[in-house]
Amino acid sequence: MAQKTPEIYSVELSGTEDVGKTDTGDGKEKYRGLKDKRLELKKNHQKEELKKEVDLEDHKLSIKELERKYGTNIVTGLSSTQAAELLARNGPNALTPPKETPEIVKFLKQMVGGFSILLWIGAILCWIAYGIQYFNDKSSSLDSVYLGCVLALVVILTGIFAYYQEAKSTNIMASFSKMIPQQALVIRDSEKKTIPADIRLLSTQGCKVDNSSLTGESEPQSRSCEFTHDNPLETKNIGFYSTTCLEGTATGMVINTGDRTIIGQIASLASGVGHEKTPIAIEIEHFVHIVAGVAVSIGILFFIIAVSMKYYVLDSIIFLIGIIVANVPEGLLATVTVTLSLTAKRMAKKNCLVKNLEAVETLGSTSIICSDKTGTLTQNRMTVAHLWFDNQIFVADTSEDHSNQVFDQSSGTWASLSKIITLCNRAEFRPGQESVPIMKKVVVGDASETALLKFSEVILGDVMEIRKRNRKVAEIPFNSTNKFQLSIHETDDPSDKRFLMVMKGAPERVLEKCSTIMVNGQEQPLDDSTAEAFHTAYMELGGLGERVLGFCHLYLPADKFPETYSFDVDTVNFPTSNLCFVGLLSMIDPPRSTVPDAVTKCRSAGIKVIMVTGDHPITAKAIAKSVGIISANSETVEDIAKRLNIPVEQVSKRDAKAAVVTGMELKDMSPEQLDELLTDYSEIVFARTSPQQKLIIVEGCQRQDAVVAVTGDGVNDSPALKKADIGIAMGIAGSDAAKNAADMVLLDDNFASIVTGVEEGRLIFDNLKKTIAYTLTKNIAELCPFLIYIIAGLPLPIGTITILFIDLGTDIIPSIALAYEKAESDIMNRKPRHKKKDRLVNAPLAIYSYLHIGLMQALGAFVVYFTVYAQEGFRPSALINLRVEWEKDSVNDLEDSYGQEWTQYQRKYLEWTGYTAFFVGIMIQQIADLIIRKTRRNSIFQQGLFRNKVIWVGIASQIIIALILSYGLGSVSALNFTMLRPQYWFVAVPHAILIWVYDEVRKLFIRLYPGSWWDKNMYY
Amino acid sequence: MSQAEGRVITSAFILLFYLVFYGFLTAMFTLTMWVMLQTVSDHTPKYQDRLATPGLMIRPKTENLDVIVNVSDTESWDQHVQKLNKFLEPYNDSIQAQKNDVCRPGRYYEQPDNGVLNYPKRACQFNRTQLGDCSGIGDPTHYGYSTGQPCVFIKMNRVINFYAGANQSMNVTCVGKRDEDAENLGSFVMFPANGNIDLMYFPYYGKKFHVNYTQPLVAVKFLNVTPNVEVNVECRINAANIATDDERDKFAGRVAFKLRINKT
Repeated sequence: MAQKTPEIYSVELSGTEDVGKTDTGDGKEKYRGLKDKRLELKKNHQKEELKKEVDLEDHKLSIKELERKYGTNIVTGLSSTQAAELLARNGPNALTPPKETPEIVKFLKQMVGGFSILLWIGAILCWIAYGIQYFNDKSSSLDSVYLGCVLALVVILTGIFAYYQEAKSTNIMASFSKMIPQQALVIRDSEKKTIPADIRLLSTQGCKVDNSSLTGESEPQSRSCEFTHDNPLETKNIGFYSTTCLEGTATGMVINTGDRTIIGQIASLASGVGHEKTPIAIEIEHFVHIVAGVAVSIGILFFIIAVSMKYYVLDSIIFLIGIIVANVPEGLLATVTVTLSLTAKRMAKKNCLVKNLEAVETLGSTSIICSDKTGTLTQNRMTVAHLWFDNQIFVADTSEDHSNQVFDQSSGTWASLSKIITLCNRAEFRPGQESVPIMKKVVVGDASETALLKFSEVILGDVMEIRKRNRKVAEIPFNSTNKFQLSIHETDDPSDKRFLMVMKGAPERVLEKCSTIMVNGQEQPLDDSTAEAFHTAYMELGGLGERVLGFCHLYLPADKFPETYSFDVDTVNFPTSNLCFVGLLSMIDPPRSTVPDAVTKCRSAGIKVIMVTGDHPITAKAIAKSVGIISANSETVEDIAKRLNIPVEQVSKRDAKAAVVTGMELKDMSPEQLDELLTDYSEIVFARTSPQQKLIIVEGCQRQDAVVAVTGDGVNDSPALKKADIGIAMGIAGSDAAKNAADMVLLDDNFASIVTGVEEGRLIFDNLKKTIAYTLTKNIAELCPFLIYIIAGLPLPIGTITILFIDLGTDIIPSIALAYEKAESDIMNRKPRHKKKDRLVNAPLAIYSYLHIGLMQALGAFVVYFTVYAQEGFRPSALINLRVEWEKDSVNDLEDSYGQEWTQYQRKYLEWTGYTAFFVGIMIQQIADLIIRKTRRNSIFQQGLFRNKVIWVGIASQIIIALILSYGLGSVSALNFTMLRPQYWFVAVPHAILIWVYDEVRKLFIRLYPGSWWDKNMYY
Repeated sequence: MSQAEGRVITSAFILLFYLVFYGFLTAMFTLTMWVMLQTVSDHTPKYQDRLATPGLMIRPKTENLDVIVNVSDTESWDQHVQKLNKFLEPYNDSIQAQKNDVCRPGRYYEQPDNGVLNYPKRACQFNRTQLGDCSGIGDPTHYGYSTGQPCVFIKMNRVINFYAGANQSMNVTCVGKRDEDAENLGSFVMFPANGNIDLMYFPYYGKKFHVNYTQPLVAVKFLNVTPNVEVNVECRINAANIATDDERDKFAGRVAFKLRINKT
């Protein structure tokens, strides 16, 4: 049986043919062996190639050559056996979904990441220590085995928690993703049809495609059979997979399917572009390195000291474990995850959907935003912006709801103009939208006609009714040769039997056909001065980057054209010249009303906004000016040249702040020239760029050490989105490939949402600093006991298990509570942080936490410890060098300061009371630490002690957990807690107050003497 | 001012700051410690809740509470003898007579302050001779260690203001821990007789007040321990107000030790 259809596609576009039927042939597409070598190239190579644009040669071949190449016949197609063979070899016509990391790998990563490895080492050392002990003495206690198990348990539990937290946030993201409006690729029963594979067109009839998902060009592109361009993306004889055909019909031959289509290649290449580590991941790694470095070096130092002090190696190993455990903030990484996901939720509410938790902060450190124009900065719909009639330019309201049309509507000219706008228009509202506001109604028709329809509906009311009253008798639709559209109507005046002919089109073509012009409702002959006025207005509106249309009309005399006259549009049996020119109307895709404000905010926040668009430079510049990307008083080199009337070459580049660069210019630039461009100009617009060039621009920005955010919606944007530090996809207009590649999705496609995201990102960076400072502080208070124990031989002040109860118990909720802290000052008024200079954990933070507050805390906790021992009978002086006797099981008559004698168990119990006391001492001072960490510069009283309620929840949780541990679990001896006398809870309070006062003094001096050595060394 | 100078000055400032800051911290710590120590009396501890039950201990004091005697190897027990000689020296009758009072047995020797500080407090005599065969006075067997009949001394931990026995007589008894231990232990004699501890040595007033306090002892002389076997001995005090069954504190009112006599 001869298969006729498989590789010949007939895409019917105006009909209502079921797409499912078209899809039946999908699997049997034919093979082309062209791309195989490309796919085998290494990944970095692929990226290079992508930047060089996609190469495809089928568009250059003639039909005969094609037939030969693919071994097929354009009339009969492939045989079914051939087709099946090809299907088996090439797989079905579908894109391979992006690879997901297996869950188990994610889980294991959590188990060994961060501090986990240190704790594993600790646990293993514990077991080794027990092994040695057991070898020497079979009856040795199991304490170190327990400790090892506890450490392992801590790692596993925190790992499970972090994994769960991430899985949960991924799930939240997934559920949000469902909310992201999915672009309907196939709209049945309507005008759009998706092209099912890459097709070389063989015959076309007025075919136009929407390539926006591929190239970002929002204008429909016409397709024909001729090879028009070397670049396959530009040539007219190729229809691409997943693009939509808007009008006309075309027949073609399938040349690529599935992953081998242009879009498939881009999608797979995008996943090949390595995802850079997020700035916060780098910061956390840096922080982990610092802390682990401190832990390991102190541990080893004291191991050596202990060994040289003639301690047993076994004991020294136990000390080493204690030091590691004291130094590692076990709960911190889990806290950071929670904090980030809290912010992610907050951002999702503000329409920033973060796919990757760490991207939350990346947005905050963004220093350059490369933004698309269409849809992001603009409303993504043509809107009437200006009108020109009666020799005057009127401004129309372009805000989102269009409600405020204030121009003068009393002139008779306006009456005529409005009639033309209403009648000479083929666009219609889709039925059944009576309750929808006009601006939101779905319209069937092209962008300009839609704009005109909505414009007239807002001003005149029910347009369809007006059209009904002025019945259309004939029509010539717009085409690119005529460049005008014309229709003839009966009038709604029953006494007027004339026909009204209305016309709109390219202004110069319309004007050619006119001999008169209407001014103030009166027809006047079109003389040179009015023509001059017309040209001035036309140029002015064109200069604003707007698309201008001219409107004219003619009342056909009733004697020549009676009511029964039959108009024939093919022979044109009616006049099309000597018409009466009525006015001009210009349209633009206007900026979103929130954008100028957002751009200003970006500017004050030190973020450079670069516009990258495929649009015409004039339009791009106009929009850039209106949203403030090019500020009102800055000029480009061309502007200066024009103003001074000198050639462009003579203008000093230093004078220009702004630059508009086209894709063609960019193509010829070396990377060095691009770097120069990016550093020299503060306001840059890239126009007429291809999406591939976006990648080049992003890399250029990244060479400046900038953190780059990129917005994009097309499939072709996905490599740039991946390459960017944070890729932002559009939720409404974005393609799935873009959303997959992006780190963040803007649910409302609105640039202003990015700015709120930046604010949240900056806030979380500040608050993470506070959280880490808070968490690090007590490490010293946990570490000092071990050091003192080794050096001065005091009975151990705090046990390893007790430390874990601080790190994973009392401290967790307070450190999360700091994430709810409000910003201290306007965080949008400072420069973005420099990713290499402004570290999350810097020297002042570590020094202040460790050597100032941490040390004070340690002293305070020691006071509680000494108090407990002294009041029980061991004065501080008696404790020095008591360790050896204290810990001997055989010594059951150890004498205290009063001559009393203690058994081993009595001492052990006192030691646990000491642990509890030290624990309570740290906990009480951590409350003070929590309060001081609310701010870094301002006084707590400026910030408001009670504004962040969660802090108080944190404090309450600390106290409650400590009470439960002491009084509830005091009898469980394995936990080493005892019931502490109530007064001991208050011993550390003076030190806690001291911490607060000291920090207030620090902040006061920082505020009083900015830039002083104090500020430099004490502000973290 | 050059950059280098500026850096030196800044470093000097920072150094100075740390000197002042740490000086201040030290002062602050010292102050709070001093205030804390004001709450603690020199003579009696503020709390004694941990010492409700005094522990028992043995002499000679050994690393793992085991008394191992190789009869033929003088070295093995000489260290015990040296320790015991030193330990019992303050009990010499001459010293006791010179420093301490002869008290009435069978009742507490109370020395209340009655508003005026009664200091120093007197202690009762415990004469070395009361230890009989274990006194080691003119003893060629060195507390029996050279003959394989060693003396082990039992003492009860001092606890301030503790009225041991609650006004009733108390004594120390020793048994083999398990049946085979009891068999191997053989017979023993105790000094003072019955392992009695007299009430007059209580209460203890603390080492500041009770300067020459002499702790009462009970000596146990093991007469025919089965040689070359490890014997687990447990001694406990029988007193009305001393519990000896604490699960966690294995030395509350009792003491367990190992005894091994090696003979060839």
